[in-house]
Amino acid sequence: MVLRIRLARFGNKHKPFYNIVVAQARSARGSKPLEVIGTYNPLPIERHGIPDHLAPPRPFKDITLDKARAKYWLGVGAQASDPVWKLLNMARLLEEKPKTYQKA
Amino acid sequence: MAPRIQSRSVSNLLPYLTSSSSTSSHIPSLCSSSQSSRHFSVTATQQTKLRRQMFEWLATQGAGLKHHTPGDTNYLRMADGSQSNRPFPNNSYFISEPVLSEELRNEVYVRVKEQNKSPRAVSVELGIDMNRIAAVGDPLALPYARAVHEMIPTTPLAQAGERQTYHEPINDLPVHPATGAQIFYPVPESRPFTRIDAGRVFSGAPMLEKKAADKISHPSDLAEDVLQKPSTIEWVGKGEKARQVLQPADVRIPHPQLVQLARDRAAFPEERRAVAQRHAERLERQEKAEKERAARTADRRKRSTETIKPTDSRFAFRIQDAVFTEQTVGKDGRAPWAPGRRYGVPRNDRTRGTVKIPTRVNV
Repeated sequence: MVLRIRLARFGNKHKPFYNIVVAQARSARGSKPLEVIGTYNPLPIERHGIPDHLAPPRPFKDITLDKARAKYWLGVGAQASDPVWKLLNMARLLEEKPKTYQKA
Repeated sequence: MAPRIQSRSVSNLLPYLTSSSSTSSHIPSLCSSSQSSRHFSVTATQQTKLRRQMFEWLATQGAGLKHHTPGDTNYLRMADGSQSNRPFPNNSYFISEPVLSEELRNEVYVRVKEQNKSPRAVSVELGIDMNRIAAVGDPLALPYARAVHEMIPTTPLAQAGERQTYHEPINDLPVHPATGAQIFYPVPESRPFTRIDAGRVFSGAPMLEKKAADKISHPSDLAEDVLQKPSTIEWVGKGEKARQVLQPADVRIPHPQLVQLARDRAAFPEERRAVAQRHAERLERQEKAEKERAARTADRRKRSTETIKPTDSRFAFRIQDAVFTEQTVGKDGRAPWAPGRRYGVPRNDRTRGTVKIPTRVNV
């Protein structure tokens, strides 16, 4: 069976928070994964109330990732889902996913 | 139903909001205006005794408080007519504490930012709490500050050659929650029991070994080691309940070096210069250690964090290294301190009857 690195949603309504998990591809989103290898908070953190010269230029989104484990699971054939592919691409663990369409 | 005062009239009660043309003649008109607004009522406006007295007072004694003298407080006077720092004469516990004057605030800024002195040293020199020193660097609300400084007591900056008056006590010891317990701990009379031992009892740590205890002549001896290497503080307890051993007050106060200075002064009353020299050296060592520690932390954070700014996104992405091992996430991968949200652990953040606000503060 295929192993997937994918997101598992936690958090409340309108407050998503994801664990980056390694799981069997056909298991439920909320089921216990083989392993948790990171987290992704899609809500941008904006530093309100701090002086402008200290504020980051752009609001940022937080990712934590155990790179060693991610590399291992990719090495044994785990496939990243599209959203995770983007994150792993930013962490320079995967090339950008080839597009299946050509822009005109 | 009690007569309602219209908001237009209420603003007249606040003397500093109205222009100088508004005089006490407004006050009687206030009563009449509230009467005339009741077009359909036949009953006379209720005028309670207290209300009448209030307007009488506003017209006589209170009239003097209508405009404040800049640079002076405008509080109610005591029964004997003297001005005090208690704005509410019946509440003797409410004391209007002075704030930093503009000159003193600027002096703090100059010493820390331009002369590059440490906040710790400036705090001792000027007698200002270290938290307040840190707050001086914050952005200012100048119009507000100007208006407020006219009306409340301030601590002035000492003239050249004068001794600076202390703004506030600077070496206050915060109450540690561990000291809240009442513990009956019998100690043989023959055994010395110091603040160090008391701290160990409060945190449930075993007695200090005799060899280690003999090395310490006074609890303040520990201060320097702990400040230089906070990691040397012992831990007790396991897992979630692990905690550091409570240190004696001599270590936990904001300026532990002052205890050593006072002890040196008492021990060597003749050698004032040498004592001052030792104090300066101690302060320097402390600051150096603190700076190095801050730099190390910043460096570690920088190395483990990577910020990526995709060109086609409004957001930046901050990727932090996390290590999901047995130590960081526990044996079953479900330790409460582990990164990420946990599986199989109910999040009772919405269940009825549970406390949802933080119930403890880690000091």
